[in-house]
Amino acid sequence: MVVDELDALRDANQGCEMLAFADLSTQMILVTDTAANAPRETLDRLCNEAMMMLGAGRKVVLGEEPSTAALVANSKGVRVFLRAADEPNDVLCCVCAPELDVEAFVADARERLNRISSGA
Amino acid sequence: MSDLAELAQKISALVAKDTVFEAGARVISTGGAPNPISAILNEIDDTILERDLEIRADDAVVNLIVSGRRLRGIASASSGADSVLGQVLSREEPEIVAAVFTILSELCGQAQRLTVRYLPPQPFGKGGERGISAKGLAELWQVDLDETPKPPMERFLDANRAAAVAVLHTLDGEIQSSAGDVAALQSILDTQLAEFRALQTHGSGAQLICLEGAFSDGTAAALAIHNDDVAVIAYQPEHLGALHASWRAILG
Repeated sequence: MVVDELDALRDANQGCEMLAFADLSTQMILVTDTAANAPRETLDRLCNEAMMMLGAGRKVVLGEEPSTAALVANSKGVRVFLRAADEPNDVLCCVCAPELDVEAFVADARERLNRISSGA
Repeated sequence: MSDLAELAQKISALVAKDTVFEAGARVISTGGAPNPISAILNEIDDTILERDLEIRADDAVVNLIVSGRRLRGIASASSGADSVLGQVLSREEPEIVAAVFTILSELCGQAQRLTVRYLPPQPFGKGGERGISAKGLAELWQVDLDETPKPPMERFLDANRAAAVAVLHTLDGEIQSSAGDVAALQSILDTQLAEFRALQTHGSGAQLICLEGAFSDGTAAALAIHNDDVAVIAYQPEHLGALHASWRAILG
């Protein structure tokens, strides 16, 4: 189940605080991890940021092509957005602490997202 | 400089607004600036009463016994210091002085984050053995205590030079430096940056934004913003983790 993958991803990565699986074609967060208790507005804002960073509908805000992954970091935290390999509208939105091990997290998250997206 | 003026300067440095504390320890070097050995010597130079300076360098820890602005010796270290532990430094034993420099360089020299915690002193050597002053060690080890670190954005770009395919750095809109083929980066600055920043709803301040596959040749784009500095970087995507780690150490 999607939520099991999200919970496992959060538990396996120190600094991972909230995960949401979204569909960019409907611009909606579909599932969050079970510990997430963010209000709807926060989830909507996260989904909007994913669309902006990854370039939904071929609209690119920075660069030449829609991105397959995006990271936004500031002193308060890191947000990571990943697009599934085979279904570009399937997106994982991740809210993490500043000390996140980005390399390990992205590798783990990408693998789980592709499993979620393929229904494996 | 008179003693009073020097004392005032040191007190001023201690209360400076940019002093950062982490779990009670003071951050004295980030991202290699100032040079970690210079940072340690400056701490020694600021220490009048006898103290145990616990220096934490990323995952390594070394405890220095310091008194009267002199390093007396190493009380303990997380690794590699057995040959000098408990030995009081003396100019008459240059091999020990050199060994201490080697150990500090190995434990701390490449640290991305260096902190210091002042602990009560522990028994160390004999009372009459004073150690060597920070300035004396700087001279023996050929370390510049007054080194002026480069601005943070320059250090960040230096740290990621190997990962970057192209770089364009501006300050207040004026180009400071560039490397590689910057046509696509210039286009981002000229045509996309203003709209992008206007669309951002998640706060402001220093930021790092990385977009994988943003360029048609498959390279990734990074946008680093720090005060009036803006840098756009085209980089190989496998360097994302290192890019973020150095941004956090230097600008985050």
